[in-house]
Amino acid sequence: MATTILDATHDPEKPRKPLQLIAYKVTLTLYRVFAIVTLYAVLAGILSYAFVMGFYAINSSWAAPLILSASDEKSLDFMQKLVISRQSIEDLKVDVIRQQTTLAEMDKYRASLLALGRELQTAITSKQNHDQLTGPELAALDKQKQADNRKTQKVLIQIHQIDAQIKSDLAAGLITKGDAATQLAALNQANTDYTDSRIADVMLSDSVLDKTTVGTKTLEVLEKQADLHSDIAQLDVTLSVAQKQLQEDNRQIDRLHDAITIAKQSPYYLNASGDKRLYFAFVPYDNQANATVGAPIYDCYLNMAFCRKVGTVKQIFLGEQVINHPIFKNQIRGLTILMDLSRPESAKSQTVFMGRKPLFF
Amino acid sequence: MAPILLWLIMFLCLVISVVKYLMGLILRLSFPSIKIRKDYTWQPTVSVLLPCYNEGRTVYNSIESISKCNYPNDRFEVIAQDDCSVDDSHEWMLKAQRDFTNISIRVGRNDFNCGKARTVCNALQGSSAEIIISIDSDCIFHPDAIRELTACFAEPGIGSVGGRVGVSNPNDNVITAIQTIVYYAAFELYKIPENMTRSVCCISGCLFAIRRELLLEIEPTLRARHWFGIPVNQGEDRFLTHQTLMRGYGTYINNDALCWTAVPTKLSVLFNQQLRWRSSILRDLFYTLRSLPTHVFKLHPNTIFTMVLTPLGAVIALLMVITMLSTNPLAWAGPEPLVVYLGIAAAFTWAIKKYSVRETIKHPLAFGAYIAWSLASSLFITPLALLTFDSGDWGTRAKAPEEVPIGHNNP
Repeated sequence: MATTILDATHDPEKPRKPLQLIAYKVTLTLYRVFAIVTLYAVLAGILSYAFVMGFYAINSSWAAPLILSASDEKSLDFMQKLVISRQSIEDLKVDVIRQQTTLAEMDKYRASLLALGRELQTAITSKQNHDQLTGPELAALDKQKQADNRKTQKVLIQIHQIDAQIKSDLAAGLITKGDAATQLAALNQANTDYTDSRIADVMLSDSVLDKTTVGTKTLEVLEKQADLHSDIAQLDVTLSVAQKQLQEDNRQIDRLHDAITIAKQSPYYLNASGDKRLYFAFVPYDNQANATVGAPIYDCYLNMAFCRKVGTVKQIFLGEQVINHPIFKNQIRGLTILMDLSRPESAKSQTVFMGRKPLFF
Repeated sequence: MAPILLWLIMFLCLVISVVKYLMGLILRLSFPSIKIRKDYTWQPTVSVLLPCYNEGRTVYNSIESISKCNYPNDRFEVIAQDDCSVDDSHEWMLKAQRDFTNISIRVGRNDFNCGKARTVCNALQGSSAEIIISIDSDCIFHPDAIRELTACFAEPGIGSVGGRVGVSNPNDNVITAIQTIVYYAAFELYKIPENMTRSVCCISGCLFAIRRELLLEIEPTLRARHWFGIPVNQGEDRFLTHQTLMRGYGTYINNDALCWTAVPTKLSVLFNQQLRWRSSILRDLFYTLRSLPTHVFKLHPNTIFTMVLTPLGAVIALLMVITMLSTNPLAWAGPEPLVVYLGIAAAFTWAIKKYSVRETIKHPLAFGAYIAWSLASSLFITPLALLTFDSGDWGTRAKAPEEVPIGHNNP
């Protein structure tokens, strides 16, 4: 800054006013003081910045304290999910009970259907056995009946001739009207008996047909038996589905219980559910080796020097956490630790250090 | 509010820059008529002013290259003015005077070291030519340079004409490769839209032609430049260009008027040079802002935008870089800036190889290092320039170069 004030520039014929010279000198002095201070400040800032960048690029023991509040977005989200999970478990339990009741009812119904089926089968079998026994005998009786009827029919033909004889005898006055009426009534009775005998024969034939062949009644019974089997089969399918659903619901309940158990190990759960204020910190994976339970925690001035022990690592949560690097601001992955802090204000520091003092003082 | 304003200004600066480069490309390809009307038959008398400080043998080479120019020897002269060099520059000037007798060479010396601007003014005292060409003493000139410059004054209203400055050492190292591309882009693209409106904002002091009467009019102001009493010796080229425009004359850069300069090969030298340039840019910005209404009425909007937004961009870039580094220090380390810069470098390298063979760059990938330079430039040079306005030295020539005995020829 070897400079000459004014002498080289101003017109010698126009000397500058002393006041202006003084003003220039004062301004220049102030400017130079400001410039020197600023430049040194900038230089110091740049060097500090470079040192901090380099320090955090190679240091592997830092952790970034996280202050989680119950109203924290993640905590709220977490608790909301937890409540939903618990509600789901309760809903599933109700479903399970309902399904178990339904299953029991269905089992009972199935048992009654099976019993009915067995009784029906027994009835069918006994009837078939009875028919096998009585069918041939009834057929033989039917044949005999038919033979009897034929004989009766021949007799009736003769009776018709007697009827004509009675009427001629009556007309000839050989018999009284009373006798004639009595004789005609007897003849009529014989006809009626014959007709009854024919009817009995026809009915006997039906019975023989029923007992010796598969008739409509038998088919109806068999149809009912088939319906019964179908009902049981459908019930089996329904039962099987219901049992699987029940198993699935039980598994879902187990899974939700497991998830809640794991969730209870989350810092967000602890933070949201506990009464005590908890202090967490983010540890990048690169620094994970230094994050051991019981390791001392140091808080430092200027994020690196004049450190003092402020607590220990209490718990390590394995769930992954992603945050922005406190210095580089890029996204980094890591895990969360719970700190047992003797100086709670250290939770507000930008970084803390695990294991040892980073610069040994 | 402040950050939004900051972003807005930065955005405008970037847009202006990008638009100017694109405009330059379009105008070059589509409107050859933007070139000035030249008249080679008009051959005014010319004085080539050669201010010199600690250039050593280089000044001899410069005078030698001028002596070989094809302008009529009786129509021009060289006035070499030494600003009390601490090396043997003056001896080299005298030697050139003795050796190149085909042209008129006058050698003078200041009574005391007073900086380049005043050295030019002192040299001007001995001139009576119609056109004054001020040159840098470390440049080598094309034989057509003077002819090309004077031919442009045939267009009425042109007050100052500049030449195209090429890089004579593009492949010395990464630093020179970067500068080659920057120089090429500036002259072949950035200044083309300014050429169209005859309002180039800064004609390089390496090759600066101006009408004598205009320079005489400006000279008192140039001599009187000071900053709270401290003489301002830097950025006389920008100042002269600005003053030319403010007096209603046009300015133009004739890319056919060539000269070659060896750009700094060392980072420290480049830093000093850039600091000097940035300082003059900022001075110019403050001058423009101080008399903005006058500028608005007198100058083309393109000129005002360039004069205000370009330097303002430099200041804001500093704030942006600081903000960027403090909020996301690794943002600049991503591949995107590198890819962009390498893409630009590849395009310019191709263009240079095709249109300016002498400046062909062997290692265009080196331009990737421009990212680092941009950061350094934004972070250090702008604040340093703002805080060293009281510096009045010759910048890159502040220290004496190694002495070369007179009579020792360059290889």
